[in-house]
Amino acid sequence: MATATRPAPAATTTPPRSVVTRAAAAVAGLAVAVVLVVAPLVSSPYINFQLASIMVFAVALLGLNVIMGYTGQVSLGQSAFLGLGAYITAYGVLNDWPIALSLLLSAVVPAAVGMLVALAAARLRGLALAMITLALPIIGVPLARRFDGFTGGSQGQVVSWLRAPESLGLANDQWRYYVVAVIALVAFLLVRNLVRGRIGRSFAIVKENEAVALSMGVSPYRTKVLAFTIASALGGLSGFMYLAVVQYTSPETLVFATSINLVAAMVIGGSASIVGTALGALYYVLVPVLAGQVNSSRTALISGAVLLAVLFVLPAGLVSLPRRLARRRSARRGTRTAPHDTADDAATPTSTDGSAPAVPAPAATTTDQHP
Amino acid sequence: MTAPPAPDAMLSVRGVSLRFGGITVLDDVSFDAPRGGILGLVGPNGAGKTSLFNCISGHYQPAAGSILVDGTETVRTPAWRMARLGLARTFQHPALRLDATVLENVLLGAHSWLPGGPVAWALRLPTTRRHEREARARALELVERTGLGWAAHTRADELSHGLHKGVELCRALLARPKLLLLDEPAAGLSHAEVEQLIGTVRAVRQEFDLTVVVVEHHMGLISALTDRVVVLDHGAKLMEGTAAQAQSDPRVVEAYLGKEVGAGEPA
Ligand SMILES: Nc1ncnc2c1ncn2[C@@H]1O[C@H](COP(=O)(O)OP(=O)(O)O)[C@@H](O)[C@H]1O
Ligand SMILES: [Mg+2]
Repeated sequence: MATATRPAPAATTTPPRSVVTRAAAAVAGLAVAVVLVVAPLVSSPYINFQLASIMVFAVALLGLNVIMGYTGQVSLGQSAFLGLGAYITAYGVLNDWPIALSLLLSAVVPAAVGMLVALAAARLRGLALAMITLALPIIGVPLARRFDGFTGGSQGQVVSWLRAPESLGLANDQWRYYVVAVIALVAFLLVRNLVRGRIGRSFAIVKENEAVALSMGVSPYRTKVLAFTIASALGGLSGFMYLAVVQYTSPETLVFATSINLVAAMVIGGSASIVGTALGALYYVLVPVLAGQVNSSRTALISGAVLLAVLFVLPAGLVSLPRRLARRRSARRGTRTAPHDTADDAATPTSTDGSAPAVPAPAATTTDQHP
Repeated sequence: MTAPPAPDAMLSVRGVSLRFGGITVLDDVSFDAPRGGILGLVGPNGAGKTSLFNCISGHYQPAAGSILVDGTETVRTPAWRMARLGLARTFQHPALRLDATVLENVLLGAHSWLPGGPVAWALRLPTTRRHEREARARALELVERTGLGWAAHTRADELSHGLHKGVELCRALLARPKLLLLDEPAAGLSHAEVEQLIGTVRAVRQEFDLTVVVVEHHMGLISALTDRVVVLDHGAKLMEGTAAQAQSDPRVVEAYLGKEVGAGEPA
């Protein structure tokens, strides 16, 4: 770890992020946006289904990242809120609710449930909180089977809704993709804003150190309840999106395994990161598909191997890849690794964090000070 | 038995006792911190100084006693409400977000007075953004006047321990406290850094009309800064007086020698 005790000359004038990095990010963002708008127009319904699924799970992951990535509270119950949102939406479709009402309730009801759970559970710490969230899908699945008047029991609910308006000339898969993409975009923008300012700082300090949070006027309890409520609302919203894309929900939607896979995808993408959330969704949807194409009977095994490989190479998730590459490049050039001193070419090669010096220092064994 | 709180005290501690299991950590401690003054709190390791801070800041719940901050009884006030009552503190072991910049760390200090809830933030309302900009400007100002301006956009994990202490001080000052508790602010600092710290504390006390309570083993700092010191030993108040009186008091000398000589204590 490079430790600075005195002002480094290069640090005084550099802005937080270099202009080059910003420009690169802007270009990349624009390219992604263009692809996301154009791709469904030229792709098969199957591809569009996968693209729309990425949007669905991106929002589920976004919620998980709020409570777990940003606020540091382990949640193993996100699938329960996804399932609840999907069932509420299905109920709305079958009872001819306006779509706006389904959309609203698919987020508000899970938010209320999540808030109640958090009000009771957020006083608990660490594993205890995780265990309570774990109970949600475990209780939720039999409940979904039992209350078949609402859920359709084990068969689930098949719905047929959200058809493309004829005037648009879009196929249903294209229309549904655009609907969920817009919802995802709005959700991502809101959360991105939220985690940047005052509320985001309160999330981060609750994750880092509750004693400091308390001393700065942040109630860890209230903060956790807020974060869990937001996570549940987004989980429910992703359930609405799920039903839009899949047109079917059953107790399978909320199984515990989905929660675990979401946690894995969050870590793979990069926790406490908006871009990482999107990358996590890509991983969540695409890796099983690609693994299935490699060998359909070994899907889980291949997915697991990819998970391990990514975690070994990039413990901070896919989102850390550019930083890792930049670090490697600067390490090879022999400059220091801190982002602010790229101009500091004169620095010694031995001061990089953790990397071995290129030339071993002369051994000092002859001047050993110890008696 | 215990004296009534002094009317001009920013902080009045009366008969505070704290126990963990069967162990008495604080035993009937009483003292006042006069408004606008700098009070030293000294004593050997394990005397209970940090625990006393934790009682004042609401992190610990005393078994008995009363604590008044600017005339308000706060013993039952949750710790997170203390910031709004004008209390800020630093920690003996600086606790920063190492993955965040100095500025981001300091900005947390604005939490208690910065307006805007989750909805306002999610929507990035213009007023919310304006308040954030103001907080940022203020944070930068503090960071610059404590000599950390060059590091404002540097990640905390690239800085030394001594600089972390400075960041913590800025974070506490950004909360606009009336009463500031500093827990061993000079521990691990170089001589030059201690000199700078003394200057900073003096200046901000004057400018922000602060009352300061400082726990410190560095007798140079205590002598230079404090008007009075309270000496704790084994959880009880041993004596109270000027820094010079404390240093020449045989009981204080014995309390320190009974353990180890105070200066250069391990964390
Ligand atoms: N949370 C706690 N649980 C149990 N014992 C504690 C706790 N906090 C402090 N103590 C005990 O209280 C005593 C005083 O500690 P402390 O207040 O840290 O002393 P000082 O800051 O003066 O060095 C120590 O014996 C310590 O072990
Ligand atoms: Mg202490």
